[in-house]
Amino acid sequence: MVILLAVGLWTARVSFADTRFVTTPYQQIVLYKGPGTTYLQLAKIQAGVPLTIIERNSVGTWVHVQQARNVGTTIINDGWVISGYLNFDLDFHFGDVPVNTTLPDADADSDMSQLHDLYLVPVIPTISDAMRAVYQHGHDDLRNYSYVITKVGDSMTADDLYLKPMSRDDNVLRPYDYLGDAVSYFGASTSVDSVAARVGMTTYTVFDPTWADKSVCHPRETPLDCEYRRKRPSIALIMFGVNDLKRMDDVHFDQQMRKIVDDSIQHGVIPVLSTFSYDPAQPLWLQSVLFNRRLVKIAADEQVPIINLWLAARSLPYYGLEDDDIHMKHWGFGYLKFDHGSAAYSGAALRNLLSIRTLDEIRRTVILNAQNSPASAATPEITQPATPEITASP
Amino acid sequence: MLLLGIVLLVSCTSSGGGDPAKVVTQYLQAKVSADQKTMQGLLCSSMEANLEQEASSFAGLDAKLQDVTCTRQGDSNIVACTGKIVATYGTEQTDFPLVSYKVVQEDGAWKWCGEADAGTEAP
Repeated sequence: MVILLAVGLWTARVSFADTRFVTTPYQQIVLYKGPGTTYLQLAKIQAGVPLTIIERNSVGTWVHVQQARNVGTTIINDGWVISGYLNFDLDFHFGDVPVNTTLPDADADSDMSQLHDLYLVPVIPTISDAMRAVYQHGHDDLRNYSYVITKVGDSMTADDLYLKPMSRDDNVLRPYDYLGDAVSYFGASTSVDSVAARVGMTTYTVFDPTWADKSVCHPRETPLDCEYRRKRPSIALIMFGVNDLKRMDDVHFDQQMRKIVDDSIQHGVIPVLSTFSYDPAQPLWLQSVLFNRRLVKIAADEQVPIINLWLAARSLPYYGLEDDDIHMKHWGFGYLKFDHGSAAYSGAALRNLLSIRTLDEIRRTVILNAQNSPASAATPEITQPATPEITASP
Repeated sequence: MLLLGIVLLVSCTSSGGGDPAKVVTQYLQAKVSADQKTMQGLLCSSMEANLEQEASSFAGLDAKLQDVTCTRQGDSNIVACTGKIVATYGTEQTDFPLVSYKVVQEDGAWKWCGEADAGTEAP
């Protein structure tokens, strides 16, 4: 009895010490044993039921919650839910919530099929020492701009609503405002279109000078090299796959993606790869799994970061896709709006969120570290540029 | 083919081993048609490794040449083209303007050898 009372008091103190962390679902939600839909389903929780947030995953898209029988009493439900289905007060910030670093983003053992390898990959990558070296080479030897990023890919990446809204000043990040520094730091550079991201582009055509924008690229220059020459970015967010599925097998896709990675590294650019979302009901589903597995393998071999969008989008309605089964569903606004759970139903919002979170990771663990190192003291870094420097003419 | 005949205006200047301007036009037509077999016969040896990339450039897209005129620059190995490739992806149309291309003679035949650098090269 004494033990039970002590446990009850302890949980009450941990769970209900801060009312900022008390929330309610705005619709019925499923409670899982861990931060992903592959984990065991524990319960369904009705709209309006008070929940206390204990911790979050590395982004904030999933939160560990507890439900008490009454406020301050015994815990009757304890598990993880998608945060986009919760109501948040104005003073709620994911930056204040402890991050769980022990539970993986999926229970990979729940699926031992070809998908197993994809479930093993974290949604947000950790940044390797090899990428720190790439950044350093780009910054010190090639004079790349730390605060400039670019994007490489097909129509989903060329989309004006992918990353480009980071350059706006009317974004609503709350409760994800812990990403504000990353948005401010890289935002201006996203306002300039990438010549290496075009409608219909593939891992082949990104190396085809025919596809280079002749108004800014040199003769014989590939779109990728042209983009890196013009902007001298420190980071490239790269996603191919959906177009390539129809044009090549996974062996050739692997070859081409490795070329992109190698080319990026030679330019001192950290290539951030991404798996892509795909509908299992579509005819090329098995091929898409092979492609995504190739991406995961390349990232591991080359020690480059990879965003596991495929995994994160599995928990979204229709895998975060539009009705065309290709593009990611938009969230309905021209600016970033993360205060109404858009990342829980819009693949495009989720992709922006994951990309910005990854940029935040690179900024904190690579760029700021390098700037704070003794070796960088002699070469001060511009930290708050108004606009990125672009060499617009060949 | 009929459409091709209407939209193509190929300016011909003859040379040993065929007409380089015609070779370039044929190559561009093969490229928009993803006709790898034809491209293989028209591609210079130094670009053989790019054949698959070249052939897949517009594969799966509805692409065509529009208002194309190709002319050899004097006796040089440069063929300058005007006009464009028009590619449609879904409902979106993208234009790819044509530029100057390098040609080389191999075994007595002219071959397409990629985009020309700025300036005219000696034959």
